[in-house]
Amino acid sequence: MEANRLKLVMARIFGVDVSAIGDDASPDTIENWDSLRHMNLVLALEEEFGIELTDDQTVEIMSYPLIKIVLGEHGIEL
Amino acid sequence: MTFFVSSHTRAFSLPLSELLDAVSKMEKEGADSAVRICFLRNVTVEGVEPFLKFHCLAAGIRPGIIFGNYDMVLQEIMDANSPLHHNPPDMVVLSLVMEQLDPGYHSFGWRADRVISELESLFDLLADRTNALLMVNTFIPPFDGEFGVTGHDWSADTFAEITRVNRAVREYVAAHRSRFMLADWERIARLHGEDGCMDYRFWYMSKAPFKKQFLNSYAWDIARIVKALKGKAKKCLVLDCDNTLWGGVVGEDGLQGIALDRNSYPGNVFHEFQRTVLTLHERGVLIALCSKNNDEDVWEVLDRHPHSLLKREHLSAWRINWNDKATNFRELAEELNLGMDSFVFVDDNPTECELVATALPDVTVMRVPDKLYLYPRLLLKDGLFDTLTVSGEDRQRARMYQAEAQRKDAARQYDSIDQYLSSLALVATIHPATPREVARIAQLTQKTNQFNLTTRRYAEGEIARFLSREDHGVFSLTVTDKFGDSGLTGVLIAVRDGSVGRIDSLLLSCRILGRNLETVFLHRCLALLETAWGVKEWRGEYLPTRKNRQVEDFFDRMGFDLMVESESGKTYQLPVVQRVAPDITYITIEE
Repeated sequence: MEANRLKLVMARIFGVDVSAIGDDASPDTIENWDSLRHMNLVLALEEEFGIELTDDQTVEIMSYPLIKIVLGEHGIEL
Repeated sequence: MTFFVSSHTRAFSLPLSELLDAVSKMEKEGADSAVRICFLRNVTVEGVEPFLKFHCLAAGIRPGIIFGNYDMVLQEIMDANSPLHHNPPDMVVLSLVMEQLDPGYHSFGWRADRVISELESLFDLLADRTNALLMVNTFIPPFDGEFGVTGHDWSADTFAEITRVNRAVREYVAAHRSRFMLADWERIARLHGEDGCMDYRFWYMSKAPFKKQFLNSYAWDIARIVKALKGKAKKCLVLDCDNTLWGGVVGEDGLQGIALDRNSYPGNVFHEFQRTVLTLHERGVLIALCSKNNDEDVWEVLDRHPHSLLKREHLSAWRINWNDKATNFRELAEELNLGMDSFVFVDDNPTECELVATALPDVTVMRVPDKLYLYPRLLLKDGLFDTLTVSGEDRQRARMYQAEAQRKDAARQYDSIDQYLSSLALVATIHPATPREVARIAQLTQKTNQFNLTTRRYAEGEIARFLSREDHGVFSLTVTDKFGDSGLTGVLIAVRDGSVGRIDSLLLSCRILGRNLETVFLHRCLALLETAWGVKEWRGEYLPTRKNRQVEDFFDRMGFDLMVESESGKTYQLPVVQRVAPDITYITIEE
């Protein structure tokens, strides 16, 4: 459920179908994942999950697994 | 049920991911016009794109948005191969922050003189190298002064210096208003404050300084210009009376009992609302009433209430009766010769609002807010009536419509239409457009929907450029009759292409139709151009829109031969030797 929520946000931010967001999704698998959309990803995750990422976390979240880890650090289990 | 909600307000409440989703859905729907916008910037401002798309698409305009390379403003302007030149945009938006313009900004004792003169040169250059409408921004003053709480030198701290830059920008825009528009970042910062505007995290990480509230309002200001350019301005405000123009019910409470006194609540709210109605009237918006009342009660308020700012003379039409409002609306639209999407309707009664909104979905329906203190800002805050310029014709429009009502009364006394037209003493003044007429001509191309063969929208700068070119002809039509002056109400633009003359645009304001002026205007312009250009053949086009069906057979009626007909329109030709000007004796032509 939560995992779908994350993939839906990512799909909307990157302008792709949700099925294109695999469990290994990263800039290597998603062509649209550029630095501009990465900013949008940070903002959208903060809005969607009601959290504020630390400076380090905004740079770390460079794949679907890493996003899950960072969300976990904010107490959100996927 | 809530009625009209601006896309600005809607975008404000959407999370970013939902906004992007909404935009991708709207992009799949149809749009009735398109606009190309190019950002030149020294800052990361791509975040504005989804908001700008949302506002344009919500207005039926498909935007093509490109961003010049980061901090390469001058290079993009000078480089003949930049997108700015090989695919010229309708609008260029300069997005500049002071931190990038002047590395010394924020240092103690910084002065703005150099930046002011550089900006003015940049604006001059941009105006010279492009034909687009240009939008430039003011700068956000610093939130902390460098002097701290004591020792302020109010005349020369950084805050004062930025104020000076902004004044220079505003004055430049005002002095070049045919080409330049303002994106007032200082105002947006005032609206949302530092917390709502400044994203210091992404400023330092990615040179992207703005939060979404700021970006939404910035996009909204750009979209307002686009909408005005594309003829989306509302033209007529239709008002209910009881609990809309004043508080209470005049038929029950009487002249003394209604709330309209500016010295007490809630009368002061309605008084302030009336003031915004008069502001719109001054800007050329038509004001009409649509109300279930006894008409003498309404006239008593307008004629006799000491605090009623709205008077009978401000009104262009009214339906004060007990009929249903959708029927009244259809009559108003016919009387004023306007499409339903030109109307804004304000009523306090949700049932009436619902009825009009359901029966006439193109009408913008606004309900008097339950939080009455929000009412005075209702009409002005969403920019529904925005036009790029306010011309002399706008200010006189209501009077012109009143003259039109007299003409209609007069028409009933004559047996034949020709007899009536002869009695009007019509004078059509037709001549090549003068520089003084450019603003009005551009405005007519932006606003005219019904009698408009090609619906090509032009900004003032483009019309001014046509005037300076030998191979373009721009003509204006100004009409007077015994009831008054209708002003500049017709435009023809032709382009010479060797021995062929092409009629690029032909449009007439709907308020002068039905008098055969279009026939006289067309033939007069063609005759003048044949002499000047020596062309052998005319080409005309009809490009269909939702609004201009009434002219689909115009060129057929004018004796042109149909060459090509397709989905996208019809092309006509007429050899000059076959053109026969009709004999219309009741119109006097002057130059």
